[in-house]
Amino acid sequence: MRPEMREYNYDWLMGSMLHAASRVSNGTPKETELTYRYIPYFKNVAQSFIGAGEIGIQILKLFDRYYENILTAHERGQKIAASTFCFSPSIFYAMDIVPICMELLTALGNIVWRRGMFDYMDYGVEAGLPETSCSSQRGALGAYFAGLCEPIDFIVCDTPGVCDTNANAFAFTATFLDKPYYALNYPQVLGDDRSQNYHVEDYKELVRFMEAQTGNKLDYDRLGEVLQEVEKQDALIADIEDMHTLKPTPLAPIHNIALYAGKFTFSGNKEYTRLLEMIADSAKKRVKIGASGLKTGDEKLRVYMIYIDHYTLDMNFWNWFDENSVAHMGGMLSHHFRDNIEYTEALEGISYGVDTSSPESMFNSIAQMNARLPMVRSIRGPYDQPNMWLEETLALAKNFRADCLIYNGTPGCRNTWANVKLMVRDLEKHGYPTHIMNDDAFDDRVESWVATRERLEEFFQVRGLL
Amino acid sequence: MDTFYDAATRVRNKPILKWKEEGRSVVGYTCSYVPAEIFHAADILPIRLRGIETDGMDIGDTYYGPFICSFPKCILQLAGKGMFDFLDGAVITPGCDAMRRLDECWRKAGEDYEGILPSYFYYFDVPHKTEPHGMQWFVKEIRNLIDSVERHFDVRITDEKLKTAIRAYNQGRKLLQTVEDLRSQAEIKVSGTDVFAATVASTVMPRGEFTADLEKWIQSIKQNKPLKNGQKRLMLVGSISDEIDLVELVEKDNHAVVVAENLCFGARYESNQIPENGNPVQALAEHYLGKSVCPRMYGKYKERLGFLKDKIECAGVDGVIMQNIRFCDLHGAENALFERDLEAMGIPCLRIEREYGPLIETGRIKLRINAFLERIS
Amino acid sequence: MSIVAGCDVGSLTSKAVVMKNEKIVGSHIIKSKPRPQDSADAAMAGALSAAGAGPDDIEYCIGTGYGRDKILFVKEARSEISCHGKGARWLLPSVQTVIDIGGQDCKAMKIDGDGNVTRFLANDKCASGTGRFLEVMAKVLNIDIDAMGRFSAKARSPVTLAATCTVWAQADVIKYINSGVALEDIGAGINTAMAQRVAMLVNAVRPEGDILMTGGVAKNVGVVSTLEKLLGRKIKKTRKADPQMAGAIGAALLSMEQLNGNGRKDT
Repeated sequence: MRPEMREYNYDWLMGSMLHAASRVSNGTPKETELTYRYIPYFKNVAQSFIGAGEIGIQILKLFDRYYENILTAHERGQKIAASTFCFSPSIFYAMDIVPICMELLTALGNIVWRRGMFDYMDYGVEAGLPETSCSSQRGALGAYFAGLCEPIDFIVCDTPGVCDTNANAFAFTATFLDKPYYALNYPQVLGDDRSQNYHVEDYKELVRFMEAQTGNKLDYDRLGEVLQEVEKQDALIADIEDMHTLKPTPLAPIHNIALYAGKFTFSGNKEYTRLLEMIADSAKKRVKIGASGLKTGDEKLRVYMIYIDHYTLDMNFWNWFDENSVAHMGGMLSHHFRDNIEYTEALEGISYGVDTSSPESMFNSIAQMNARLPMVRSIRGPYDQPNMWLEETLALAKNFRADCLIYNGTPGCRNTWANVKLMVRDLEKHGYPTHIMNDDAFDDRVESWVATRERLEEFFQVRGLL
Repeated sequence: MDTFYDAATRVRNKPILKWKEEGRSVVGYTCSYVPAEIFHAADILPIRLRGIETDGMDIGDTYYGPFICSFPKCILQLAGKGMFDFLDGAVITPGCDAMRRLDECWRKAGEDYEGILPSYFYYFDVPHKTEPHGMQWFVKEIRNLIDSVERHFDVRITDEKLKTAIRAYNQGRKLLQTVEDLRSQAEIKVSGTDVFAATVASTVMPRGEFTADLEKWIQSIKQNKPLKNGQKRLMLVGSISDEIDLVELVEKDNHAVVVAENLCFGARYESNQIPENGNPVQALAEHYLGKSVCPRMYGKYKERLGFLKDKIECAGVDGVIMQNIRFCDLHGAENALFERDLEAMGIPCLRIEREYGPLIETGRIKLRINAFLERIS
Repeated sequence: MSIVAGCDVGSLTSKAVVMKNEKIVGSHIIKSKPRPQDSADAAMAGALSAAGAGPDDIEYCIGTGYGRDKILFVKEARSEISCHGKGARWLLPSVQTVIDIGGQDCKAMKIDGDGNVTRFLANDKCASGTGRFLEVMAKVLNIDIDAMGRFSAKARSPVTLAATCTVWAQADVIKYINSGVALEDIGAGINTAMAQRVAMLVNAVRPEGDILMTGGVAKNVGVVSTLEKLLGRKIKKTRKADPQMAGAIGAALLSMEQLNGNGRKDT
């Protein structure tokens, strides 16, 4: 790692930058323009967010708050838990713990910094994580290994049984930093009684672990409040998703990332509810006049991402959608699996409900919700088993009227790289042109954006889609 | 010893072919978490699935993606080439992500290559934890496996038969532990290559035959003259390995002898005897899951380090070779931690990343091993 | 004349060194030939001729490098890791950390006061991070490697390359050329990609003390300066001899130890 990287803490740097960025738009347009001069590297991204209006600004405020929570947690006597994107932070908020979603921290650093998270990723390798491990954790974790962050107090993840690389990165961290660790473990099936019970038993063990770490008992009244907020959020997401099925979709590509980034950071919090309300309101306005959410105003094609998105410098990938009149129909990360939604009704046992009537029902709700988050829901068992990746993708692609599908991941996504060729073969048989991106969603050094874009464009041209 | 080498270095070895000639069934499995006793109790030969003798990777690469460990790809390649046509069944486990996808890859390859998919094809869901609910899940998995074997092969696996099988396997474990004790003594009378051949053979030979051969071999080891003095005493750890050649490569030139290992196909749990009385399913679960020391059981690093330290001490190890097959993050990351902690205790370590078996880059690996031996000389 | 020799047959170049009383009296470097024996013969003939000596004058000779087991005239073969450690110590007595980038691999090692290797790591990935990587890229840019090395100082905005694979990186370079990116920015991007991969390896052995780089890539100023930035440490230069000769020098020094009875006893 370059010595200058050690001058400032990673989380403090990011927090300061986002704090400033979230306030840029408070000034007059002239003042805003002037401020951009002082943030040359971050300018493009800041403009993308601020240009997206109040929603973009709300996203910046959300991230600003997220870092502030982390940076001031210990001052306020709170514990910090390192966790992962497929784990609902709502339980942390219910237990007054400050969560860190490592993948989100990596993605943010990548998007706003010219050199991305390369230095921290490489530090992760120097510390001992293999170069072939997932870059999404390795980036932010590298900064933690280097001691350049507010220290974490314990680690919670839920990927054993679903993603070795993820579970392993956190297990490694637990040893490397000598921190307590608990991982939920998911069986290879979803929806039957046996796995439902397993989810609950495992979750109970997890809460016992967190109670021991914080010294506080879980407060069911507080859990009830958080879950009621989740209810509100789920209802808003259902509305937004309904509108997303329309042609043209009223959502902009950036709204997809906002949907899930908000969920990974502030599920069960009012900030996220506010963001969702803004997205829903702006979408409703466009629906009324039949307008597209794309910058070009013209929707030529609808793409459903069967796995994750692409998070490197300047949000190149997202802008590419916007500039080419391609609607982003979400991906594995953005859709949610509440009951009584059209696409979950086709897949028995795949959805969850929220019931706050008793401690037992709340426990069951949160355990089942957590088990239906992205990735831990879809790729736990063989992809062609009922309810798993193939059926889920087909249901979503149909619901959102996708024209074609794209797979994107990181080389560390061993679990999908081991079967994605089979998956794509099946999707093509169902009539969906499907493209496999060979890049690393978090590291341009595996495949540069120039090459990624060229391959994307080649796919759209060869398949006669654009 | 010849029987062991034949069994350890050939996929279609004599004991398996003889078993088939007798009209009996063979079931392959992918991971050390499968209780072989279940099949033994049903007079089915359980064998560990292996990727040796692979030439080419056209089939493996067709179904698996690019960033995948070569071990399961080699198994798929062999399956696609019909090398496993003697199998009546296969059990796939989530030992790791690459391995568990052998389930889909093999099934889909079976649609393209006629007759390569055994008629009995089973997914055995092993949890990643030993807390009571994990153990309960595993017990149920074992019961489900038993039920399914009974149905498919039209057999009865009674508790009594299971207990007999446990006794038979315990006998083999005890003898393998004797070999482990012998190889770790100050005066070395047996090469690591020979020991590993015997240990790997134990995973593919009928238990009775293996135990009888092993007993004889142990007697012959005791009569052996000691190996050349001054050789470095090495330990081999890391990713799955059933490659006799790898141990041979380390011991080539007589500068070193492998006196201990901690490998998936090796002797890891031989000192544990499974209780022969009581509930056999519970006993199997507690042994196969409860006693397991492998990095897929996340959060148990300290136990695994302790296990290694014991072996290092017991066998007077001079240096540890830690290998991981490319894209094996579990062992890759753990090797780095082992290296950190063992070097701090003054135990020299060599960390290498490599391809599996027939694909191994012999020259490159040998260079590093030589440099390591020069370092500790 | 009583002399010792070392012969390093590498994948790109082969080197021979003849030493007397720990001083180089003759050395020679050639581009490797298809057969290691031919490379060794030619390199050694050149070194002997420079020393004004004949093959019979050599009292002990050690071979190293990829072709080490195929050289007929050597008494024994040693790994280039040990040889580069010894050679580096001779080139720069204060050295504690050695980075050796050869044609096909890249190694980072720590050595003790006698030049014995106490810890090492070698790259386990393909050609990227090796001399071959730079050679392929320079060919695509149609410039020589030294010129590419100087690009790092001139570049305004170095490009990002697919640095985990030489073939992909090559495709990236071609795309950048076609889209009109300045050659300096591409060249600097190549040097940075190379330096990042090497830095990861070096940091993983926890570098200490003076660092010396051996092997041909030590001559690439772009890689060296970027590497210095990444490591936050200066990489020492040596004028005592060509750092590319370190392996052969080390082999000759080990020959001398062997002759003086200080060599390994057990092998």
